[in-house]
Amino acid sequence: SPPGKPVIFKCSSPEKETFTCWWKPGANGGLPTNYTLTYYKEGEDTIYECPDYNTSGPNSCYFSKKFTSLWSVYIIRVYATNKMGISASDERLVDVAYIVEPNPPKNVTLEIQQPEDGKPYLWIKWVPPTLADTASGWLLLQYEVRLKHEKAVEWEIYFAGQQTNFKVLSFYPGYKYLVHVRCKPDHGLWSKWSEEHSIEIPSDLNMNDE
Amino acid sequence: PMCPSGSSCRVSLRDLFERAIILSHYIHSLSSELSQEFDAQYSQGPEFFTQAMSMCHTASLSTPAGKEQAHQIHQKDFVILVIHLLRSWTEPLSHLIIEANHLPKAPDTLIAKAMEIQEQNQRLLEGVKKISKLVDPEIIDNGDYSVWLGLPSLQSNDLESRLFAYHNEFRCLRRDTHKVDNYLKFLKCQIAYDGSC
Repeated sequence: SPPGKPVIFKCSSPEKETFTCWWKPGANGGLPTNYTLTYYKEGEDTIYECPDYNTSGPNSCYFSKKFTSLWSVYIIRVYATNKMGISASDERLVDVAYIVEPNPPKNVTLEIQQPEDGKPYLWIKWVPPTLADTASGWLLLQYEVRLKHEKAVEWEIYFAGQQTNFKVLSFYPGYKYLVHVRCKPDHGLWSKWSEEHSIEIPSDLNMNDE
Repeated sequence: PMCPSGSSCRVSLRDLFERAIILSHYIHSLSSELSQEFDAQYSQGPEFFTQAMSMCHTASLSTPAGKEQAHQIHQKDFVILVIHLLRSWTEPLSHLIIEANHLPKAPDTLIAKAMEIQEQNQRLLEGVKKISKLVDPEIIDNGDYSVWLGLPSLQSNDLESRLFAYHNEFRCLRRDTHKVDNYLKFLKCQIAYDGSC
């Protein structure tokens, strides 16, 4: 039978310079089925085919910088074709400016700092995700930290603004703390949380000002 | 180099950019809310406004659509381009506010947002003009902007056409305020922080 209708379920840009769309194939009708993604841009008639079906893995189309324009609506559709016929997905309208979802921050490190003239604190540091050019100002990232000790149920969530480090002053000695960090562009979507990092707080840590 | 009058100029440039960016970020957030509020209030089905998409009146301004294009524009010209974008909305915003009162059951919050955007847009325009003078005292702003011819559509007797017109204006406003915000954040790092924030 002809193939089932594919569904474009997500389009996103990790750094406001490239983007990818993914689709779910429909039923393949028991026959070898081929998928083609086509698109045209707002105010234009020319229909283009996906420039790169490979970089972002199966059932995906990757638009490199060369093929990516912000503030211009892409009208995208996927076609499934086999010997018995063809079926098309619904159109998906995409403006890359509004689908920026970065990768999680990297290299999260945790350390206990004991300043001579103050209370000890837990110092959390990280770096922006790969590919994210925050230095030029084209992409502005804000961060959020969540932590809890192993026996706690609720996460404590702290907004770190654009900093890439955060100091936590309230914690209990003798516990193991779990930490995640995530980021979001100024006008965009939160990344997933980073991998989990943990630190054991020594039981004999003196929590008073020195 | 940019900012010829030395370090004090750079400090005040950073300060001016920070203030401008607070405004541009706020204006874009408001514009997004305005666009979503209008669509929520007046959409008559999931795809209703899809056919309403038409060219923005600012499409004639050649604006960078990516980081590499942004790097290729001379910074003085880029600041002037932002001024042109901002100025291009002075007239449409005032008409949108007046005409929106004639929309069926026009929510007060919608008109209030449009008025707030109009006011802040004007403040931002003045702020970016100051920035341009600091970037280059001899900078020439020829007063250019994109002419807006959308008033008849906002006054159409056919309600659907009128709703499509408003949808498109708010969609374009959202887009252009995002551009301005993005460009100012980029220019701040390029001009006031020597290319690296």
